[in-house]
Amino acid sequence: MIEIEHLTKNFGNLLAVKDLSLTIPRGELFCFLGPNGAGKTTTIKILCGLLKPSGGTIRIQGIDLQADPAAVRRLIGYIPDTPFLYERLTPVEFFQFIGDLYQVPAARVQATRERFFALFAMDEYARTLIKDLSHGYRQRLIYAATFLHQPEVLFIDEPFVGLDPFSIRLIHDLLRQAARAGTTIFLTTHILAFAEQLADRIGIIAGGRLVGLGTLAELKARSSMQGPLEDIFLRLTRPEEA
Amino acid sequence: MHALAALLRKDGRVLRNLRQTAREQSVFKVVFILMFAVGMLAGLGYLFLEGFRFLSALGGIGVMLIRHLFALFFFGLGLMMILSNIITTYTTVFHSEEIPFLLCRPIAPGEILLHKWLETTLISSWAFFFIIIPFIGAFAWHEHLSLLFMLWTFLFSIPFVLLYAGVGTLITLLVLRWAPRWRPQVWVGAALLVLIGWGIWTLVGTNNLAGANNLAGANNLAGANNLAGAGKPQTGDAAFILERFVPGLKLAACPLWPSAWVAEGIVALSRDQWLRGGLLFGVLLANVLVVGLLVEGLGNAQFVQAWQRTRASHASRRELPSSPRLRRTSRRAGLVGTMALETRLAFLAPDTRALVTKDLRTLLRDPAQWIQGLLFFGLLALYFFNLRNLHYHQLSAVWRNLIVFLNMFSLSAVMCSFCSRFIYPQLSLEGQSFWLIGLAPTTMGRVLKIKFLASLAGMLTISVGLMAVSTAMLDVGWQVWVTALGLAVAISLGFCGLATGLGAVFLDLKQRNPMAIISGFGGTLNLVLSLAYMVAAILPFGVLYHYHTLGRIGAGALRAGMVSASAWLIVITLAVTLLPLVAGRRSLMRRDY
Repeated sequence: MIEIEHLTKNFGNLLAVKDLSLTIPRGELFCFLGPNGAGKTTTIKILCGLLKPSGGTIRIQGIDLQADPAAVRRLIGYIPDTPFLYERLTPVEFFQFIGDLYQVPAARVQATRERFFALFAMDEYARTLIKDLSHGYRQRLIYAATFLHQPEVLFIDEPFVGLDPFSIRLIHDLLRQAARAGTTIFLTTHILAFAEQLADRIGIIAGGRLVGLGTLAELKARSSMQGPLEDIFLRLTRPEEA
Repeated sequence: MHALAALLRKDGRVLRNLRQTAREQSVFKVVFILMFAVGMLAGLGYLFLEGFRFLSALGGIGVMLIRHLFALFFFGLGLMMILSNIITTYTTVFHSEEIPFLLCRPIAPGEILLHKWLETTLISSWAFFFIIIPFIGAFAWHEHLSLLFMLWTFLFSIPFVLLYAGVGTLITLLVLRWAPRWRPQVWVGAALLVLIGWGIWTLVGTNNLAGANNLAGANNLAGANNLAGAGKPQTGDAAFILERFVPGLKLAACPLWPSAWVAEGIVALSRDQWLRGGLLFGVLLANVLVVGLLVEGLGNAQFVQAWQRTRASHASRRELPSSPRLRRTSRRAGLVGTMALETRLAFLAPDTRALVTKDLRTLLRDPAQWIQGLLFFGLLALYFFNLRNLHYHQLSAVWRNLIVFLNMFSLSAVMCSFCSRFIYPQLSLEGQSFWLIGLAPTTMGRVLKIKFLASLAGMLTISVGLMAVSTAMLDVGWQVWVTALGLAVAISLGFCGLATGLGAVFLDLKQRNPMAIISGFGGTLNLVLSLAYMVAAILPFGVLYHYHTLGRIGAGALRAGMVSASAWLIVITLAVTLLPLVAGRRSLMRRDY
């Protein structure tokens, strides 16, 4: 569960996030949408503890992020749009490293690795250096490694960038399955069709303010529009052009 | 500490994979690098040994200097280690993509900083061992010490580098956490002012000391030992120069410095004074542990805030165009921030102007890159401008000529590292946007020419400017002036030709990390060839002037030698400039993008 109250973030004179309040219950797949520079990535980075909020409070699974960041980090998983990977490790070694960091028992590391490598068709590349993997395989690896410690809350920034249809389908199914199992998922995307298919609820941010929040049906009802999400998105984020 | 252990295990796996990758390299490459390393160690060892013999031959202050040189060596090395670690920590910790990855994991920030301390120590200290090994080898050889001396030095060197690197890490952390948020230009200006102030203070102190106690003594020594002869080297001159080290020796030998414990501890163990040597090693080790505790403690308390502060200062520059602050900064941006640069370079062809302005802006907007160059060239400039304050212009011609050529060597060495670091990887760093240049209505040959000429313009300004200052301050004759400035021009040409040409031949568009590009085969080849060219270019002139002022060759032989050396310089300069550029052009034309 994610609870955000009056979250504000400013960089000098630039107000990136303005008074954001939001609660995302356990097992919900929440899509956070917004135009470029709206404050999506800043919000995600604050929620992961990478950026310090200028104001407001954040609780993850009931734990105050500012008061006990270490406890929160054990509960979350974060996949940025361009994830960092150790280029000179193999996928197997990377898995071992993540297992060591989260103190996951070796047997579980191996079992999870075997399951995910089979699911993502990665066995062939298990002992190839990460620097030699294609973008798609690197993304598959980071997803597999993120699920290793079974995070209760998952933050994903642009999950489908540069992926082929097969990988998109895999990740799509994986996320839905995780949410059903109780993982709270907070993801940002520019692909509105995926938000329509995937999200339990959608939040739309523009200029640092939350301008829309609810299920697709609720958003349609509130904006009095029956068209696709794209129309609602444009009406809320660029009202002068819609 | 499980996270630190996990990070160290990961490092072990990376090292194992690197060893595997090294095994897959061509034998030629491995042999080439090994030969270079051995050759460099042997060459440095020989130079240090000659230096010790020279000091011994002087007697008096020379012998005294050898006795204290050990402390001075480690003192200087320690200061360089701190500086080197500050730069390494800033670039590899606070600008690393690994940090956000680690900060999202269940790792205490103190453990991240502890790991980074060990990593930056390794990165910033390996080159120091290339200086420590030949220096210690030469010292042991000269003083007829046992091989165990080398072992003790190695034993003391490990905590020594850890201690000083830790100080560098802590300084970086504290500065980034609490220093005012000035623009990098203001920081550089402030640092230069402090350096100049420190230089003046040191010089005033040195002059007073020398004036009060030593100058007369040095002159007496000169009178006593002088073998006369207008051009011959005078021991008095040597003593006069060496006297300048006395305050430094006193400072370096201060028992409060860890470098003094290292120097004394090694000597104590070599003389079988086990208790004293062991005690000093223990003191050193205890201090390393204290630094480790400070790194972990301050890391836990302040690392995240310091890192967030650097991130926030980057983000705050992304302001809306309507922001009044941004409008003010844009007006002030002057040379790089507005259209001013294009206007000032209006005389260039549009494609040349586009490439030059893009490269200049990219470099100037990344302070971590250009500060390193500015620091080294700035220190050289500070030294050259103070040559008269050191009274070196009052020395005999042989010493002034020698100092000019030593200055040329120092300048060339800095230029060599600068070209290897910045000019060699510039084409590869175009990276994934290289297709933009590939599709532009220009030819690859022209792109290469623009890159070469732009870097040459920068290098010529620096090298000719600094050598003009050096020769003017030393008041040398016109022949030496022409030679020094000619060498500066030739070396700029050679270095830029080699770095640009080889950078094109060994183009690596996949790599984003400049250090990985530089440390590849092409980068190593460029460095080795640049160093070899530097020695081949300067040495003949230096030897000719030296022998002439020693009286070993006459004016006729000097003239003939100068003509031959000049012809040699022209030939090798043309070779190292044109051949790599031609090969680079061909390689670029053949490539797919």
